[in-house]
Amino acid sequence: MSNTKKAVKLPEAGGIFDKIAPIALLTGALLATLGFILTFTIASLVPGAAVNGVELIGDQMVSNKLLLSQNIFYFHVPVAIASMLALGFTAYYGIRFLMTKEARFDTCAKVVTEVALVFIICTMASGELWTRFEWGVWWAWEPRLTTYLILMLLVIGYFILRNAIDDPERRASYAAVFGIITFVDVPICFMITRMIPSSVHPVVFRTDSGMPPDRLVLFLICFFGMLLIAFALYRLRFRQVRLAERVAALKEQLDD
Amino acid sequence: MNSVLEEIYSTILPAAPYVIGAYALIFLGLFVYVLIVVLGLKKTEKQMDVLEELLAEKN
Repeated sequence: MSNTKKAVKLPEAGGIFDKIAPIALLTGALLATLGFILTFTIASLVPGAAVNGVELIGDQMVSNKLLLSQNIFYFHVPVAIASMLALGFTAYYGIRFLMTKEARFDTCAKVVTEVALVFIICTMASGELWTRFEWGVWWAWEPRLTTYLILMLLVIGYFILRNAIDDPERRASYAAVFGIITFVDVPICFMITRMIPSSVHPVVFRTDSGMPPDRLVLFLICFFGMLLIAFALYRLRFRQVRLAERVAALKEQLDD
Repeated sequence: MNSVLEEIYSTILPAAPYVIGAYALIFLGLFVYVLIVVLGLKKTEKQMDVLEELLAEKN
């Protein structure tokens, strides 16, 4: 039996991913802008209304209430999903760190959680404006809102924890465990509208969503745009952090 | 005009500031983060160049 330990492949800056990051950022920004323009041009301003049963209005069969404020959905949901996916990577890198004790995985986890926080803040801000118009209040203790608020507080707590510990290895271990625990809230938050049917938040991903094809295309354009932006931001920030680590190492070398 | 359509269109103007605000906040939030990252990257790259020059001189 061989005792040789298999070498761990560490994520590094400067590879093919960093080369395509600016293109991904530009493409993501273009897709998001295109989605934004199409939302207010191609798609109808008000696709539905509150009616009893089904009613034909113009050429459209109307059976649900979808007003202009529903257009927030095309950015709000993709941004929320991007934040949840980023937190999935936080947990992944946390597990990788705990398995290998390689500091690089901790760096990856820190950077991807930072990107997740930016997307969480964007989700909260856009969601608040929708809540204010639709429900007439700035905040409601509704299941989806509450679980997402908990998620945001956990992510903020992740950074407070990191800043509170000086020893790098201990900090990385604690942060990895905390990152994994934070991720536990993601499926809860995602599934809460199914678990509590009385929730006023709509269940977006279902087989009978009833989203017309033109609106589905719009949603997908915004969705892929946001995913590309999230990926590019992660790579750019990771490159900066790695470069900063090399600068610190060079400074030490010069001091010696 | 159909009373239902009338009801729908009456919500456009009151909803507009919230919809525009939501999009603007998302664009602004992402733009600010991109700006912070890109400026930070440029600064770190400059530091790296200076340090590499110093190290080359020292050697």
